[in-house]
Amino acid sequence: MNIILKRSLIGLALAGTTALPALAADISWIYCGDRLDAAHEKYIAEWNAANPDDQVKPEVVGWAQCQDKATTLAAAGSPAAIAYVGSRTLKEFALSDLIVPVPMTDEEKAAYYPNIVETVTFDDTQWGVPIALSTKALYWNKDLFKEAGLDPEKPPTTWAEEIEYAKTIKEKTGKAGYGLSAKTFDNTMHQFLHWVYTNDGKIIDAEGNIVIDSPQVLAALQAYKDITPYSVEGPTAYEQNEMRAIFLDGQIGMLQAAVSTAFLAEEAGMNWGVTDLPLGPDAKGKGTLMITDSLAVFKDSGVEEKAIEFAKYITQPKVQEEYEAAGAAGLTPLRPGPAVDKLLADQSFWKPFVDGIEFGGPEPLFTDYKGFQNVMIEMVQSVVTGSAEPQAALTKAAGALEEYK
Amino acid sequence: MNRSRSAMIFAWALLAPAILYVLIIVAWPLVETFRLSFTDASLRKVTNYVGWRNYGRIFNDTFLTVIGRTFVWTFFSVLLKMIIGMCGAVLLNAAVPGRNLFRILTMPPWIVPMAIGIFMWGWMYNGQFGMISGLLQRFGLVDGPVAFLAYGSTAFWATIVTDVWIGVPMVTIYFLAAMQAIPKDLYEAAWTDGASRWTRFRRITLPLMSPAIITMSMLSLIATFNSFDIIWILTRGGPSGETTTMIIDTYQTAIGSKKYGEGAARAVVICIFLSLFCIAYFRITRRLHATEKA
Repeated sequence: MNIILKRSLIGLALAGTTALPALAADISWIYCGDRLDAAHEKYIAEWNAANPDDQVKPEVVGWAQCQDKATTLAAAGSPAAIAYVGSRTLKEFALSDLIVPVPMTDEEKAAYYPNIVETVTFDDTQWGVPIALSTKALYWNKDLFKEAGLDPEKPPTTWAEEIEYAKTIKEKTGKAGYGLSAKTFDNTMHQFLHWVYTNDGKIIDAEGNIVIDSPQVLAALQAYKDITPYSVEGPTAYEQNEMRAIFLDGQIGMLQAAVSTAFLAEEAGMNWGVTDLPLGPDAKGKGTLMITDSLAVFKDSGVEEKAIEFAKYITQPKVQEEYEAAGAAGLTPLRPGPAVDKLLADQSFWKPFVDGIEFGGPEPLFTDYKGFQNVMIEMVQSVVTGSAEPQAALTKAAGALEEYK
Repeated sequence: MNRSRSAMIFAWALLAPAILYVLIIVAWPLVETFRLSFTDASLRKVTNYVGWRNYGRIFNDTFLTVIGRTFVWTFFSVLLKMIIGMCGAVLLNAAVPGRNLFRILTMPPWIVPMAIGIFMWGWMYNGQFGMISGLLQRFGLVDGPVAFLAYGSTAFWATIVTDVWIGVPMVTIYFLAAMQAIPKDLYEAAWTDGASRWTRFRRITLPLMSPAIITMSMLSLIATFNSFDIIWILTRGGPSGETTTMIIDTYQTAIGSKKYGEGAARAVVICIFLSLFCIAYFRITRRLHATEKA
């Protein structure tokens, strides 16, 4: 009897001890990428040391599955505490009651470049903490410019020049003047939005009205149609990174791409330049699409408060600067500051990526982001393949978008 | 009585794991999908019953086009697999030197992980760096690079060709096995009577292989109808939805747009089609067995 009692007590004690770690609240983090960034690794360790009861447990998930994993977990009722998500999904998550607001103070908002906070704002509330920003600029191949008889030090500044230069390159060298990507892929829409935002266009206004059927967006679509004959053959077969590979192979005159292309062009030994995105006839200033990723804090994880605290901790300027410093990742700085000033002074090619922010626009927030994206891709592809005229494609898209706003 | 009862208990005990497995892995998801198809399930936490609305919504022009496209895609893919597989089996069955080597060489499309094989085809279809476009240009058949995945018509056939490439080895090996089971003396007798190769193939090989051909066709039909990876990796259903089949459309609706209710309704429609194929398959095999016995 004594033996049984003893064994039971030992069993209970063991069960109690093994259960103890489970009582500590973990902040699970769905982290997108191939590996944990060195800066994040360092500061997570620092946080964990200071918060033994609120340990951050990152789970690295590849980019292709990351968004779906976070969404599926949340929809199944077992959400991660935090997930690295495209800011474009925040409205959908918020309306589905899956995430909690992460309000910013005026001081926090003011620290960011203009228009950044708007990418995470819906109904006057912030629903995520920006952690990554991507902007685009125009790269050109100086050797191809020279071969086509163009001034290799004078890139285009307007759409009209861009189309004209693309035509000249195509006719004089037989190579593609421009790298237009239009595959059934998310960045086909992103590439087009860069044109929209360099002509003061909009897709949806602050009141949630679809305003895509405007002269500004029509001009962008018309420019797409005009530049297609001088682009890589069959643009609907290529997405942005596949087009970049062709550019790095010296087969394209001009390409709009992120800052990471600069590092790759250097590696490839190209004679290249990078400048502001050319402007449309209605532009008010330099523009770009601003794609941000954010840390969203999910509801019902049980550690929402601590998760918000951690999200702000891991995106504070000191950490963010270290994260962005690995320039090859292609991230544009989120906040101005001495580190950015130094970066611009040391590596001047960063300038157009930062300058475009002032008149840049966010990825439009829709209740069904994929539905919105599909409509935009269909619109672009129909114009690029010649199956629809720009105005007809625009009108059709405007009607279809009403369902997803 | 006791013995028969214990035998029955023993039989059920042996069957229990399999029954449990089928209930959890097959039956429950099917029932749940069917239930979901009558709801507006999405990311929202509240789900409402919506009756037949999802079914009413999906049977529009677009989905009917997608259904038609799926059948055309499946038909040509299965047909080509059967024809090429049969030709391959005949060649591998012939007494040619190096036959064993050829048999081994048939296998790579089957051995290579499917995703890698598909990516390889993606590169071959590439207009700028792709082998096919390069060869066509070298032989002067085209003026410049041709991006096969850029246009609806070429992308549609490109996905079929890739599916055929992946599916042919299995068909070939299956047909080869069936061919080798045909008694040799039938051929010898026909040869003695002066029958040509073609006559021997038409009068002996084909009739005796018909059970294998029908079985393989039906199995291939079911697998091809549900083929997802090839189209998704190569085109994601584009350009302009020209390679979107039912399974792609279902994935885009349920997982892409997170309209789980509508996606489930589409999945139920696929399930109905596949069930019909299965019924046809079982009926045909039953008839074949009956004929064989007779």
